[in-house]
Amino acid sequence: MQSECCWTKEVITPDECHSISADEAHLYTSLERRFLTKCIDCPLFVRDQERLTEEGSPAAPLLRVLLAEIKRNKSKLSTMVDFLDSRNLEIQFLHEIVTVLQTSLELDEVLSVALTAITAGKGFGMNRAFLLLTDKDRTILKGYMGVGPKDFQEAWEIWEEISRDDLSLREMATQFHQTKFSAEKNKFHDILERLTFPMSNEGHILVRSLNERRSILVRDALHHPEVDPSLAETIGVDTFLILPLISRNRRIGVILADNFITRKPITQQDMSFMETLTFPVAFAIERASLYERLHEDLEKLSVANTKLHEQQELIVRMEKLALLGKITSSIAHSIRNPLTVIGGFARSLLKNITENDPKREPLENIVQKTKQLEDVLSEVLGYADSVFPAIDEWDVNQMVETISRELQKKTEGSGITITLALAPNLPLIYLDYRQIAYCIKKILINSIKAMMPPGEVYLETRLVDDCIIVEIRDTVLIPEREAHEAFLDPGMTGLDDSGDMELSFCRVILENYSKSFTVERYAGIGSRYLLELSLKKEGP
Amino acid sequence: MSRILVVDDESSIRLLYSHELADEGYEVITVATADEAVEALQKDEFDLILLDIKLKNESGLDLLQKIVKERHSLPVILCSAFSCYKDDFSAWLADGYVVKSADLQELKNEVRKVLEKKAARSAPKKPG
Repeated sequence: MQSECCWTKEVITPDECHSISADEAHLYTSLERRFLTKCIDCPLFVRDQERLTEEGSPAAPLLRVLLAEIKRNKSKLSTMVDFLDSRNLEIQFLHEIVTVLQTSLELDEVLSVALTAITAGKGFGMNRAFLLLTDKDRTILKGYMGVGPKDFQEAWEIWEEISRDDLSLREMATQFHQTKFSAEKNKFHDILERLTFPMSNEGHILVRSLNERRSILVRDALHHPEVDPSLAETIGVDTFLILPLISRNRRIGVILADNFITRKPITQQDMSFMETLTFPVAFAIERASLYERLHEDLEKLSVANTKLHEQQELIVRMEKLALLGKITSSIAHSIRNPLTVIGGFARSLLKNITENDPKREPLENIVQKTKQLEDVLSEVLGYADSVFPAIDEWDVNQMVETISRELQKKTEGSGITITLALAPNLPLIYLDYRQIAYCIKKILINSIKAMMPPGEVYLETRLVDDCIIVEIRDTVLIPEREAHEAFLDPGMTGLDDSGDMELSFCRVILENYSKSFTVERYAGIGSRYLLELSLKKEGP
Repeated sequence: MSRILVVDDESSIRLLYSHELADEGYEVITVATADEAVEALQKDEFDLILLDIKLKNESGLDLLQKIVKERHSLPVILCSAFSCYKDDFSAWLADGYVVKSADLQELKNEVRKVLEKKAARSAPKKPG
C-alpha cells in the first residue's frame, strides 16, 4: 500500500508534511516524535488507517488499539500538565504571600496582605473576606476587618481598577494598606459590630471551626442545622467558607470568605487551596501582635526608665538638700546665740537712755538689724528642719487642728477665716509629722498672705480607699496669686527670697512624702491643694 | 521674790538673762553646766529653771528628765536656738518652750505665766 501520510518514512522532506512548522524542523528526521505529535492527528494518516482496514491488513486492529492507548495517555498527560501548571501557580502565589507576610511586622499590614490575597483575582478570587480575631484572654471572637465590595456597582469599579492598574499582589496589598484600610474597616463597621461571639459558645459554627481546627464550607446556611441563621443574615449570603487561624496551638481567629457579588459556588478545591494560606497568615498575625505588644512593653519600660532617672535625680537632689539643711542648721545655731546677745543688750541699753541721747539711733539700728537677721534665721532653720525625715504614726486630724489653731491666732480680726471639716475616726497614719505639718502650714501662710480680706481658708480631711486626703481651699484670686507663683515652679525660685524658696521646698517634700500632691487654680474662685497620704507604711 | 536658775553654756546669754530678769524683779542665779545646775539645786530652792538644750557636751533634755524625776513640782522653761525640739517628745516634759531671741518679751511673758501657774498650784485651797 502506498501511504499518503509520511508515517512510514524515517526521514522526510518539508514537502512531504505541511503540518510541520519552521520551528519544528527536528521532526523531519525523527519518525517517533513526528508520529506522536503530528501523524496521529493527521487526516492523511486516518485515511491510511482506513485503507489498511479495508485491505484486511492484520496490523490494522492492532494499530487501532495502540492509537487509542496513545491518545488516552496523551490526554492524561495533558490533564496532568494542566494540574501541575495550576499547582505551580498556586505555589508561586503562596510563595509571594509568604514572602510579603514575612517582611510585615505591623498587624494592619499583615491583614492587608492576607485579605487582599483572598479577594484579589490574582489570588483566591473570592468576592469578600471578613477577619475575626480572638481577644487577649481568648474569651471573645470579634469582627476586626472586612474587605470587598458592598454592592455590584462597587465591585465593577474595583474590578475595572484592578485590570487597569495590573498590580502585583504585594503592590495591591501595599496600596490597600496605605489608602483603603480605614475606609474598608468603616465600610463594614455595621457587620463587624454584629460579628462578636463568646468563645464559650462552643456550638457556634465559627467557634467550632476554631476549636476543631478545621475549615468548614457552609452551604444553605439559612437551613443548615448547625449554623445560626443570624450569621448568614448578618453577612447576607448563605454560602461561605470558614477558615480557622491557628498558630502554635493558639486560636488567633477565623476568616469568613464568600462570593457575595458573583454568587459563584465555592468548591472543596477552593477550600483546600485557601487552607494553605491560613497557617502563614495566623503566624504573621501572631508575630505582628507580639511585635505590637513588645513595642508597648518597650514604651512602658522606657517610661519607667525615665521615671527611675527622675527619681534618682530627685534622691540626689534631696540628699544634697538634706546636707545643705544640716549645714544651714548648724550655721544658723551658731549665729542665733550671738544675735540674741547683741540684740538683747541693745534693747536693754535702749530702755535706759533718753530720747535725745546720741547713742539711741545706733542702738535702735542694732535692734532693727538683729530683728531682721533673726527673721531670716527662723525661715532658714524652718526649712532646714524639714529635710530630716522622721516617720511615725500620727493623727492627721490632730496635725491639721494644731496648724489651724496656730494660724487662727495670727489671723484673728483680719477678716480671714479658717474653716475646718475633719472626718471623724480617721486611722493613724505613718508620716513625717514635722515635714508634712511644716508644708501644710507654709501653704496656708502663703494663701493668707496673698489673700485680700474678707477671705476664707478651708481645710478638710477625708478617708478615700486606702488614703487620707487633706484638702486645702482658698479664695485667693489669680492676680493676687501671681506674686506667689514660684510655688508652682520650684526651678524658677529666686534664692534671695526665703519665702519662695520655702514654698519650692514644700512642693518637693509633699510630692515625695505623699502618694500624690496636686495644685489646681480656678480663675475667679481660688485654689485647691490636694494631698493624698497613703495608709500604707511608705517612705519617700 | 521668785528665784530663777538659768542654765546656759554661753556666758553672754547668762549675763543678758540675768540682767533682764533682774530688771523684772526676779532673783537670778546662773550656771554653765548640768553638773553645776544639779549642785545648785541641791544647795538652794528655786521657783523656776531656764534651761538651754544644747549645753557643752551635754543635753539639756537629759537634765530636764532628771529634774522632772527628782523635783517634780519645779517648773522648767526650755530656751533653745532651735525651734525643732518643740516636736521632740522629751521636750514636752517642760512647762514652756521659748526660742532664743533678742526680743526677750516672749521669754518674760512665759516666765510670768509659768510662775503664776506654780503659785496657783501651791496656794492653799479655800475650804469648800
